[in-house]
Amino acid sequence: MAHDTALVFPGMGPVPFAEVGRFMVASPYARDLVAVADEALGYSLVDAFRTSPGDYSEAAQVAFLVNCLACAHWARDHLGVAPGIVAGPSFGEKAAIAYTGALELPDAIRLTAEIARLLEEYFAEEHRDIVTLSFVRAPREGLDAILAELTEAGEWHEISCHIDDGFHMVSLSEHRVPWMEERLRAIGSLPLYTMRPPMHASAFRPLRDRAEREVVSRYSFTDPELPVVADQDGRLLHTGEELRTMLLDGFDHPMSWPSVTTALKEAGVRRLCVAGPDGLFGRVPRTVRDFDVAAAQPRLAMTPRRRSRAA
Amino acid sequence: MWDDRFEQILRPFLPFLPPREELTPESDLKDLGLDSLGTVQLLGTLEEGYQVRFRDSALTMDTFRTAGVLWDTVRGMLQSTAS
Repeated sequence: MAHDTALVFPGMGPVPFAEVGRFMVASPYARDLVAVADEALGYSLVDAFRTSPGDYSEAAQVAFLVNCLACAHWARDHLGVAPGIVAGPSFGEKAAIAYTGALELPDAIRLTAEIARLLEEYFAEEHRDIVTLSFVRAPREGLDAILAELTEAGEWHEISCHIDDGFHMVSLSEHRVPWMEERLRAIGSLPLYTMRPPMHASAFRPLRDRAEREVVSRYSFTDPELPVVADQDGRLLHTGEELRTMLLDGFDHPMSWPSVTTALKEAGVRRLCVAGPDGLFGRVPRTVRDFDVAAAQPRLAMTPRRRSRAA
Repeated sequence: MWDDRFEQILRPFLPFLPPREELTPESDLKDLGLDSLGTVQLLGTLEEGYQVRFRDSALTMDTFRTAGVLWDTVRGMLQSTAS
């Protein structure tokens, strides 16, 4: 079956409270969901987000989820976005699961908060020196040679994300980052930033097992109302069990955005709406080359505009 | 100061810089809206516009911190190409 329009929930990056706070309290789309979150969490999401330190606090993660979903609802009413298929790279998996009804919103919120707590607890004890380094313009041959050097030196590393041609994220020991950046520059690549907590590497299998045992097993996933594209390999998922597996795979399998965009193209998608704060997935060359992109961002949702049906 | 082409290339990547406001060497590009992916796109546009190739020490986010630092980097590459 062909799907003309896809809804994409972005992976999470740092989003300061100042950028989305007004959206969360003033937009009716966000306000309603924030109220659900307050009840599900037992505390004020906005207050917790405003006062929590760090880019990836529990409140920041739940706020990102809520804001993405609110943007999707806004895009339905103001951009005429009626998706036939959904994708959610990395953190976006959780919003995809909630949007398609595989988990009810209060459950998706609680699951997000519980996973955030688990991540903080796990990485406070384990893999304390591992970070994820992102970089662009790295020709595959040159990158492979650098990774081979790391292997030869006995240094653990894994490709955690493939975003676009030459655009990767590699998890490795923090002490190796300066060396890696220097080697990347020598092949014409630009290192962008490092992230912690790291994600999407087979070394985190124990984290996946804990997440399954302590969090995910307590939730029942129902079949989604729309097909969801797995961000690991582009498979089309139609059952709650498949979405549950995708969520768990997110801990210890690499994410591949090219696999997602290829799957969306093959499904007949021409228009793609990225719902939520995003400076990446809706803008990389692969996305803008293959699709008409509508960026449903909180800032746009707060800009007065005339109602339009053109997505 | 820089040539006209530099500012013509740079301005579209700075969404928070009003059209009539002056761009100075001290202008902080991140404050003016240059984000990570914008930096990548700006890098490619500068390379194409000036027929240069950023390499090694030029390939850091610090190169894109201010308009002045970025121009010094481009000018340095143009000088080494000419010599």
